[in-house]
Amino acid sequence: MSPDGNSAPAHAPAHAPGHGGGAHPAQEGPRGVAAPGTVHVSHDHHELGFLRKYVFSVDHKVIAIQFMLTGLFFLVLGGLFAMAIRHQVAWPWKPIPGLSVLFPDTGGVISPEFYTMLFTMHGTIMIFFVIIPLLTGAFGNFLIPLMVGAPDMAFPKLNMFGYWAMIPAIFFALLGFFVEGGAAAAGWTAYPTLSTIATAAPGSLTGQTWWLMALTWVGVSSMMGAVNYVTTIFKMRAPGMTMMRMPLSIWGLLIAALLQLFALPVLTAASILQLLDRTLHTGFFTPSNLLVNATRPELLSNAGAALDGASGGHPLLWQHLFWFYSHPAVYIMVLPAMGFASDILSTHARKPVFGYKPMVYSMSAIAGLGFIVWGHHMFTSGMNPALGMSFMVATIMIALPSAVKVFNWIGTLWGSRIHLNSAMLNALAFVAMFIIGGLSGIWMAATPVDIYIHDTYIVVAHFHYVVFAGSVFAIWAAIYHWFPKMFGRQMNETLGKVHFIGSFVFTNGVFYMMHQIGLAGLMRRTADPYTYATYAHLQESNELITLCAFALFVWQIFFVINFFHSMFWGKRVGRNPWRANSLEWEAPSPPGHGNFDRELAVYRGPYEYGSPEVSEDYLPQTRKLGDGAARPAQAHAHH
Amino acid sequence: MSFLNPSNGAWSILALLVALLLVLVTFVKFTRLWTVILIALLPILGVWTFVKAPEWGLWFPKDVSTHGAGMDSLFNLILWMVAITFVLTEVGLVWCVFRYHDKVPGKSLFTHGSHKLEMIWTAIPAVALLVIAFAQIGTFKQIKFEDHWPTGGPYSKDKPIAHVIAYQFAWLMRYPDANGSFDSVDVIESPFDFVVPVDTDIMFQLKSRDVLHSFFLPNLRLKQDAVPGMTIPMWFQATEVGEYDLICAELCGWGHYKMAGRLIVKSKPDYEKWLADKRAALKSNGTADLEAAE
Amino acid sequence: MSDPQPLRGRLAIAAGLFGLLLAACDPEPPRPELHYTLSADSKQLLADYPAAQDQLLGTLGMLFGSPSNPRYAVPEEWIDDERNPNDAWAELSEARQAELVAANKKAFATPLAALERGDFAAVEPAREALDLQAAWGEIRAGYDEIAAAMEAGTKSRTDLDKYVAENKADAIALFTDWYPSLRESAEMYRTQCLHCHGINGDGKGSTAEFLNPTPRDYQRGAFKWTALNEKARPRRADLYGVLENGVNGTAMLSFKRFSATQLEGLVDYVRLLSIRGETERNLAREDAEEGFKIEAVQEAYLDVWSKWDKSAEFVIAYDGEIPEATPEVIEHGRVLYNDATGANCVSCHGVGGLGDGPSAKEPDPNGGPVPISKKDDWGNPLGPRDLTQGIYRGGDRPIDLYRRLYAGINGTYMPAHSTIKDPQGNRKVTDEDLWAIVHYVRSLSKGKRL
Repeated sequence: MSPDGNSAPAHAPAHAPGHGGGAHPAQEGPRGVAAPGTVHVSHDHHELGFLRKYVFSVDHKVIAIQFMLTGLFFLVLGGLFAMAIRHQVAWPWKPIPGLSVLFPDTGGVISPEFYTMLFTMHGTIMIFFVIIPLLTGAFGNFLIPLMVGAPDMAFPKLNMFGYWAMIPAIFFALLGFFVEGGAAAAGWTAYPTLSTIATAAPGSLTGQTWWLMALTWVGVSSMMGAVNYVTTIFKMRAPGMTMMRMPLSIWGLLIAALLQLFALPVLTAASILQLLDRTLHTGFFTPSNLLVNATRPELLSNAGAALDGASGGHPLLWQHLFWFYSHPAVYIMVLPAMGFASDILSTHARKPVFGYKPMVYSMSAIAGLGFIVWGHHMFTSGMNPALGMSFMVATIMIALPSAVKVFNWIGTLWGSRIHLNSAMLNALAFVAMFIIGGLSGIWMAATPVDIYIHDTYIVVAHFHYVVFAGSVFAIWAAIYHWFPKMFGRQMNETLGKVHFIGSFVFTNGVFYMMHQIGLAGLMRRTADPYTYATYAHLQESNELITLCAFALFVWQIFFVINFFHSMFWGKRVGRNPWRANSLEWEAPSPPGHGNFDRELAVYRGPYEYGSPEVSEDYLPQTRKLGDGAARPAQAHAHH
Repeated sequence: MSFLNPSNGAWSILALLVALLLVLVTFVKFTRLWTVILIALLPILGVWTFVKAPEWGLWFPKDVSTHGAGMDSLFNLILWMVAITFVLTEVGLVWCVFRYHDKVPGKSLFTHGSHKLEMIWTAIPAVALLVIAFAQIGTFKQIKFEDHWPTGGPYSKDKPIAHVIAYQFAWLMRYPDANGSFDSVDVIESPFDFVVPVDTDIMFQLKSRDVLHSFFLPNLRLKQDAVPGMTIPMWFQATEVGEYDLICAELCGWGHYKMAGRLIVKSKPDYEKWLADKRAALKSNGTADLEAAE
Repeated sequence: MSDPQPLRGRLAIAAGLFGLLLAACDPEPPRPELHYTLSADSKQLLADYPAAQDQLLGTLGMLFGSPSNPRYAVPEEWIDDERNPNDAWAELSEARQAELVAANKKAFATPLAALERGDFAAVEPAREALDLQAAWGEIRAGYDEIAAAMEAGTKSRTDLDKYVAENKADAIALFTDWYPSLRESAEMYRTQCLHCHGINGDGKGSTAEFLNPTPRDYQRGAFKWTALNEKARPRRADLYGVLENGVNGTAMLSFKRFSATQLEGLVDYVRLLSIRGETERNLAREDAEEGFKIEAVQEAYLDVWSKWDKSAEFVIAYDGEIPEATPEVIEHGRVLYNDATGANCVSCHGVGGLGDGPSAKEPDPNGGPVPISKKDDWGNPLGPRDLTQGIYRGGDRPIDLYRRLYAGINGTYMPAHSTIKDPQGNRKVTDEDLWAIVHYVRSLSKGKRL
């Protein structure tokens, strides 16, 4: 098969790769995978209407693209919020261009409560509507069936529901801006009692209730996805695709899905409890004997004292429940990205991933340890300090698997043949900047140091290096890499490179200096820091950061142009433009309904680049070599 | 804009950014060269900013506490270990991009890993991380653990110098009456200013009336959330007379950024005088206001 | 498909230059231009006279300027007396002036130290101090000019030193003797106060909707937390005290992190907003139909001013030692507190002091079964203070409580107990009684303060 040998039409009827029949003996694949009903695509022939095909589609690829477009839209929206935040921090109480519509009296100067709404919604949108949907929603959906060799997800209708559950979430999240009192303003962490007492000035009026509804719906959506991904990966792999032959992207997505399965119910339960606290005046998170605005909240409650929130709950309970989900969520946001980076590095460096098994083990270790480190968000919260100490040790040790992964990425590049295209550049940048994000985490894990740096800009720098410089660059890399498979066209390299260099420079321009201003003590979520003597000298640094942030935002125009231009007018490519090994490149570009138009049998792992057994520098997973190599189990034994 | 002032170090950063923008034009043609340079600039500029940061005032504020030295040295210990790892890994990355490009003839090195290497680069960081972890324990205990709280001095857990009460959006320090009681009507309330004597172990109780707040003294490296429903004892010792910012470090609503206070460290006689003046003010009959009006 | 690469390359270069431009230019936005408006009350009163609305706004603009450049009009007779309300510095006592100079030295310690060193380049005035910035800018410009010439080689180090030596004293005086102009204080108000108290000082800023109690509306000239009798206009010290200590239990917080000079400036500006508001109210009530004649305007303006000028005459002080809070005194206070024919605190504040007395609320005018909160003069719902909390908004010293009892609380149902007379015209509640009630009320919060 030549790289451009896309001879099969996009909607060619799929053959059912028979089990036990054909060229491949049944024992070559894991038993029980790919039940006949799931691979036989019978309804291929009828033409679906526009709505069924593109809107209410059950096809995982269409749902993936829906997730991607939604995620990219919210990336722009969340980015706009970030720009307003940066504008305020650099030039407090100066008019923000365009906002004079919202604040006509002050000529566009925002109010402090609007600032709290901005950073609350920035965090919420970026995490729940951008990163998680893009990584697991878009790429999870797109890649899992294709990479494991399945015709679709295990539960296609559930999959569709997973996307449509995002719609109420989006509706509720944005509704906050149009209700009395504005959007949620208690931070994306929604700590009680600011979030539970409606009279606590301000902002936790109705907006917070809608925010919690949105969170619950996002949880439903993610849960649907996670169930689907885990089932598909466990039950629908092509013959011969053992777990240890899965691409690392699939491992990352699988582990992220497992994390979601185990952690999300806790967050969903917690957000429902907080909803009850707010609407029915239960007291899960609200202690008794409070004075809000010098008034006891029960006197203000319409429900009367008996049903009031002031009834002996504890604010730290929410923090425990919230971080029990939201710390694993950090790994949900980075494990798939790590997987994509591994695949992209290996493919474009034409070299096998260095230490496949250690990569898998370290991802599993991150996931396992990820469940016992949540307390490091609470070192200064009033939690028992002895508990803090055990969380510290666990947290510091979680740096170990991440370090192993970094070393293995460098090992992968060692002795390779790097093709510096847009995908590769972004993947390299992911590694280069993930190192920074990972290392700065050690300060935060160290309890005594964290006492000082907790909630300073150093924390902001840390998690933006992981989630923006890490995950978002990995998402860009993944888009450049898998775009040809999604749309049958390649993205423009020149624009891709232009987009890369500006993004890389300005990302570091924005986030690196935050380490220093954090060291100087600047607290996050501070609308106007410079009236404090401690912070008065930080304005120049913040101006610089803000300029870089504006430039970074404007720079994304190249990506937007490239994305939409290439979608319709990009260079057409064949099945396997990157000469890659994994299964998705066996399907047509874009794959038709049912994905594969030929029988699949997997003989080896996905990273056989530069193998001496063949003359080309790649060896697809499905390619059958001579007699000796026909038995997939031996293909691996060579190395 | 003031950072364009050439005497300011930030100017150099801007100049570098501008230079990098100029690179853009040649980037498409010389991708590998510029990628090598760009990634190499990460550790170079990264380390350089950390070296220059104290000069720019972008470093820890002055430490005037007994806790601070331990914390700062732990920070520096981690800083060194992190810096070495950072530079080494980035150099490795840069070298790979520089050396192993697609123009090199032949196929790539066909290897799936090395058990020995994996062991090495698991074991060494593991030991380093454990060292870091255990190095923290002493300082953390000293600041937070109950058995390290001051007992011998004038202030202890049962006899705190003051209750520090946080509410939207202010700090209120409540000192006991002349008999040391906090239940008296003659307690002294000092909004905004937390006045303490120098070189004394200060124990105080932290409370919140309404929502979460956080008591943050940058100069004393001290931070503790004030949690409604909890009374949290904290201790510190200030080593230098002066006035220091007290900042709220946990989002508490729209006025979070305004929730300022001040730690005023006085010499012991000055502190006693301040306390006596505050007590005398309770006896005021208002005639002082008459005189001021004249 | 043809490869459109060259076109895109040019596109890329153009965009790169655009980014460069973006990074190099100075995007710091200017201060917004704000405008005073008429209060909702005035608009309602003048609803039938749109022309009068414009005229009133114009008249007020003449008297008080604009938020970007607030300025009192100076009546002719004041010119003769050499009285200039725009120069609040002159109103301060010499002792206060000396205090403010000391406060300036502390607040500007960094720039002053730089000036002492002769390092003019390191001096930065405060953000809101616009006039100071401008005045310093002039000295600085000369310095920069010589510094630039020095780099070009046309001037020498001695020139610079000479310039520094010549201007150092002036520059230092600029900082130590700084007192904010109304314009500077308005800028301070804009960044710190406006979002609650509003551009006009009517307490209708955007944050106000989240607040309970609502922010003070200055426009009636009525302020609650003063030391004064007979609802007098506040003294500078009253306003300053609120800025300095905040109001316990409300969103009005302490602004002590600003210098005493800056706070005095804010007092000036609050006074301007209050006088402007009251003048506006008076004019809107009286002169709508015949238009605003110059004499009437001047009279209204001077009338409001005269109230502010007299405030010092109303200070409440107790002549003598305040009584000790012995158990007997407290018991006496308890009896008085519950005495329905005398102080009658119990009718609103309730037997236990929880603020739940029988008169705490009023019947629903719509006939609903649940009584509703009473309203204060501003129309905001208002409940009697819960005295068990130990949160006293006007200050927690006994004398502060005494003043609340003596003069009542301006704009609320809290009556002035000094004016309750028996049929013979004698005070029903004597000063001693007031102190007893003060001590009883304070004892209600014993050990309960949160």
